[in-house]
Amino acid sequence: MDSILKPLYYAVSWVMTVVHSALGYVLGKDNHESLKWTLSIVSLVIIIRVLLIPLFVKQIKSQRAMTVLQPKMKEIQKRHKDDRQKQSEEMMKLYKEHKTNPLASCFPLLAQAPIFYALFRVLNGIANNHSFVPGVITPKLLQSAHDAKFLGAPIAESFLNAHITSTKIVTVILIVFMSATTFTTQRQLMVKGMPKMDSSNNMMVQQQKIMLYVFPIIFAVSGVNFPIGVLIYWSTTNLWTFGQQYYVIKRNPTPGSPAYEELQKKRGISDGTGPDVVSPEGMSESENQSRQRQQPKKKKRRR
Amino acid sequence: MKLFRAIVLTPIKFYQKWISPSLAPRCKYYPSCSQYAVDAISAYGVRGVLMATWRVVRCNPWSHGGVDYAVVQAPVKNPMNLKGAI
Repeated sequence: MDSILKPLYYAVSWVMTVVHSALGYVLGKDNHESLKWTLSIVSLVIIIRVLLIPLFVKQIKSQRAMTVLQPKMKEIQKRHKDDRQKQSEEMMKLYKEHKTNPLASCFPLLAQAPIFYALFRVLNGIANNHSFVPGVITPKLLQSAHDAKFLGAPIAESFLNAHITSTKIVTVILIVFMSATTFTTQRQLMVKGMPKMDSSNNMMVQQQKIMLYVFPIIFAVSGVNFPIGVLIYWSTTNLWTFGQQYYVIKRNPTPGSPAYEELQKKRGISDGTGPDVVSPEGMSESENQSRQRQQPKKKKRRR
Repeated sequence: MKLFRAIVLTPIKFYQKWISPSLAPRCKYYPSCSQYAVDAISAYGVRGVLMATWRVVRCNPWSHGGVDYAVVQAPVKNPMNLKGAI
């Protein structure tokens, strides 16, 4: 197994050492070792997430394409009001027909798994003073990484093989942080970012209850096995996800989602006062969708 | 053989019950990859595992998703019955 994954160990170690030595020019060659190693893990996140951005843009584009499908989606929702399964089935058919799909698939998550695992192995190696790629992580670097700390906890140490209490404390802090970011991100996406399906409020509440304790439990069970460095990676990538999603929900929301309606409403209001000009099409849509206020001019009177 | 299916299905069922509801929907297919896996493994065993793996691979940013059942008819066996085999 290790021999198959050797290229990944190499890649992860290489990025980390390169960033570590590059930061040497800024922070001083033998100073701030802990900070340099921590940032080298953060840079791993930045690299992989930047590589994933094109996919993300692609997804936003296909979400935008949904504006055209709105009437058909509403029709489906109406037709299968009481059958959520049939509803999703018909939706999927519609997406396929129009060669567009607003859903992200598991790929962005799974793409990070190999890096994650490689980092896990490399850091475990560092904890045991063993370098998988001796040419890249030299004995001197190995020692320096071994001693590197994040908030006083060695980055290569995990909760279960902790030698000092601060490892345990920092693990708990990071687990809480990861749970909180995941919860917030998923909640924001479900509440604001998804096109409204006919899911009842009751189900939402139920889901959020599950979320509240499922994330901490899962992160706690897995997190105690992971070195602090892996938890740093995970926390950083969570933070990135949150930021990315926040940006999209504010600036580029999926048509049909509550965030989209909010943006339309905002633009509708600023239409009269600010330079933001909204196309008449966009206007009428926002008015059709807003449930709170009804514009008299849009009422169609048939006599 | 039923034991194999039950063992493989347990984590998927766990995911469906506890993890999936906490995450926003993301699967491009109907039924979702996890349900596809449950259907495929209940019906075909080891072959179902391969089918499910292939399905997850197909669920990527370059595919358009769609409706895709593991078993053409509704699965004959109720996967819940397999719990008795453990």
